Amino acid sequence: MKNKISKFIGLMTVLIAGTITAGRGAESESSREYQIKAAFLYNFIKFVDWPEEKTTDSNEPTIIGIIGKDPFGDAFEPVKDKPVKDRKIVINRFKGLEELKESPEKHPQIEAIRKCHLLFICRSEKQKFKETIDLVKDRSVLTVADSEGFLESGGIINFTMEEKKVCFEINVTAAKRAKLEIRSQLLKLAKRIVEEKPSSEEKN
Amino acid sequence: MSILQNMAIKHKLVSIIMLACITALTLAGAAFIGWERSTFRSEMVRSLSTQAEMIAENCKAALAFQDAEDAKKTLQALHVDASIVFGCVYNKDNKLFATYYRDYAEIKVHPSDFQETGFSFAKGFLTVFKPIVLDGEIVGTVCLRCDMSPMYAMLKRNISIIVAVLLLSSLAALLVSARLQKVISGPILSLAQVAKVVSEKKDYSTRALKQNNDEVGSLIEAFNEMLEQIQYRDLELTDAKEQLEIRVQQRTAELTTANEQLTTEVAIRKKAEERQAELLKQLESTNKELNDFAHIVSHDLKAPLRGIKTLANWISTDYADKLDQVGREQIDLLLGRVDRMHNLIDGVLQYSRVGRIKEEMSQVNLNELVPDIIDMIASPDRVTVTVEDELPVIECEKTRITQVFQNLLSNAVKYMDKPEGQVKIGCVQEDEFWKFSVADNGPGIEERHFEKIFQIFQTLSPRDEVESTGIGLTLVKKIVEMYGGRIWVESKVGKGSTFFFTLPKQKVGGKNAKLQASIVSRR
Repeated sequence: MKNKISKFIGLMTVLIAGTITAGRGAESESSREYQIKAAFLYNFIKFVDWPEEKTTDSNEPTIIGIIGKDPFGDAFEPVKDKPVKDRKIVINRFKGLEELKESPEKHPQIEAIRKCHLLFICRSEKQKFKETIDLVKDRSVLTVADSEGFLESGGIINFTMEEKKVCFEINVTAAKRAKLEIRSQLLKLAKRIVEEKPSSEEKN
Repeated sequence: MSILQNMAIKHKLVSIIMLACITALTLAGAAFIGWERSTFRSEMVRSLSTQAEMIAENCKAALAFQDAEDAKKTLQALHVDASIVFGCVYNKDNKLFATYYRDYAEIKVHPSDFQETGFSFAKGFLTVFKPIVLDGEIVGTVCLRCDMSPMYAMLKRNISIIVAVLLLSSLAALLVSARLQKVISGPILSLAQVAKVVSEKKDYSTRALKQNNDEVGSLIEAFNEMLEQIQYRDLELTDAKEQLEIRVQQRTAELTTANEQLTTEVAIRKKAEERQAELLKQLESTNKELNDFAHIVSHDLKAPLRGIKTLANWISTDYADKLDQVGREQIDLLLGRVDRMHNLIDGVLQYSRVGRIKEEMSQVNLNELVPDIIDMIASPDRVTVTVEDELPVIECEKTRITQVFQNLLSNAVKYMDKPEGQVKIGCVQEDEFWKFSVADNGPGIEERHFEKIFQIFQTLSPRDEVESTGIGLTLVKKIVEMYGGRIWVESKVGKGSTFFFTLPKQKVGGKNAKLQASIVSRR
């Protein structure tokens, strides 16, 4: 008897909670998604090793760059102050490449972009993917995006959604080209591993 | 322990050995099992922890990127180990992230069960917890649970093996100890056997056989030595006994001989006594006859003597003028001789009367009698007679005791040769006797005459010098001896002599004689 009552109460609680979450989820679906993505970006840093020239000074922070129209909002708030691999994390937001080209103070910004460890390329930059990737290709920058065909453009990691779950895929060749070592644990979790054929590399 | 004490020595030995063996084996077995158990446990903890560590390592990325499927796959690898029944991964909010079950439907492990030690033993399971650390941050926890029953089964198997080994080795120990105990118990048992034989058969010639050079060996040696001593003593004892018997026999024979001799002697003595009695009888009658004879003779002699005296007196008076001087002298001599004769006959008469004529016995107070006698003697002035001691009252014939003192005192006075004569009368009480003494300071008597003076008609000086019949002392002696007393003389020539005589108290009066005397004197 008691058991039944408690079960009933439990069920009710779940239902009510579900409705509330669903209601709120509807309005902040994307913000939750980007919260996860933000956390994933942090975690990527943990599973990727940069070459030495990028990590010489341990006092230097790890820089996450976001280029284009920022979809994260305050998604970085929960993780903002957490150091990763004993380094502070700094988030730098950049305007789209198109805009940068127009503005006179373009060069320092571009240099800053090239300094980034991880560069998230927003969907707004979809047309400039290749250009952006090329911009940082010899500077060991982990390029991340959440747009279809990003890997084919030479990006390293791309977020996908599967059954409302944030997943990712990895272009191993691009990573190798950027002299980044992606740990097997991360690779294991990737939904898709892309390996460019040598011919295509030659083409590039 | 009391059970052990009443056992035979060989059982005792075997029991002790077995007890020690079993105790040692049991302890060793228990220690081994305990050690094995703890080793097993720590080994299991170690291996399970290692596995948990591996899982944790492999789940880091899965947790970081919230890939539960991947974590589940990782957990699936636990399938290889049959003993792991359950494994799960919690995320950093302690929510179940991925699980793995082997056979069991579901085993709930709540994060609150997490132990700081990292493992816990409960209900036959070992549960291990391992935090998943990514970049210095705990991102989740791995929990693995392992079934301990295989370990317990193995422990059980080991226990049964150990028990079996214990039983077998105990059996072996039993066999070995049953054999080897003879080394110790054998000599002791044989010694006990010998001791039994010795005490039962009293055969001290038996010897125990010494087998070893240990304490039992020396015990057997000592035992044998003791036996030897006992045997020797026994022998000596037997010898002594035999000698004693021989001696007893000898003594018995001697005694028998002596007894026979004694019997013979007794017989002879008896005969002699009989003869003596006969002789005594004869002597008595002879004595009586003699007394009678003496009395008759002296009595009859007196009559003619009286006639002679009368005639002599007549002649002396009637023929006084007709007789010349010589005639008169001779007549006087005749009268003197007649008087002496008369005295002699009187003396003999008195002497013969003693013992023949009995007077009535009466209480005589000598304190009264003796002074009368002294007066009667009419001693000359130069002689003083004194009574030194208080005299007793005695029961006797008054005439006889008077005769005794009279004779002794008159003798002392009669023979006194000193110008100041001293005669002292004394009396001393001696056990059974009154001892009287009459002492003088007269001429004394030579020792060779001490016996002679008591014989009848014996005088030391010629009759013409001192008128004496030679009967007085003889009479005294007879009277004293009649009462059972004794008379003797002590003397030194020139110094004087003392006559002692004794009278037995029983014969002459009661012990209270002196008291009676005092009563009499008061009257």
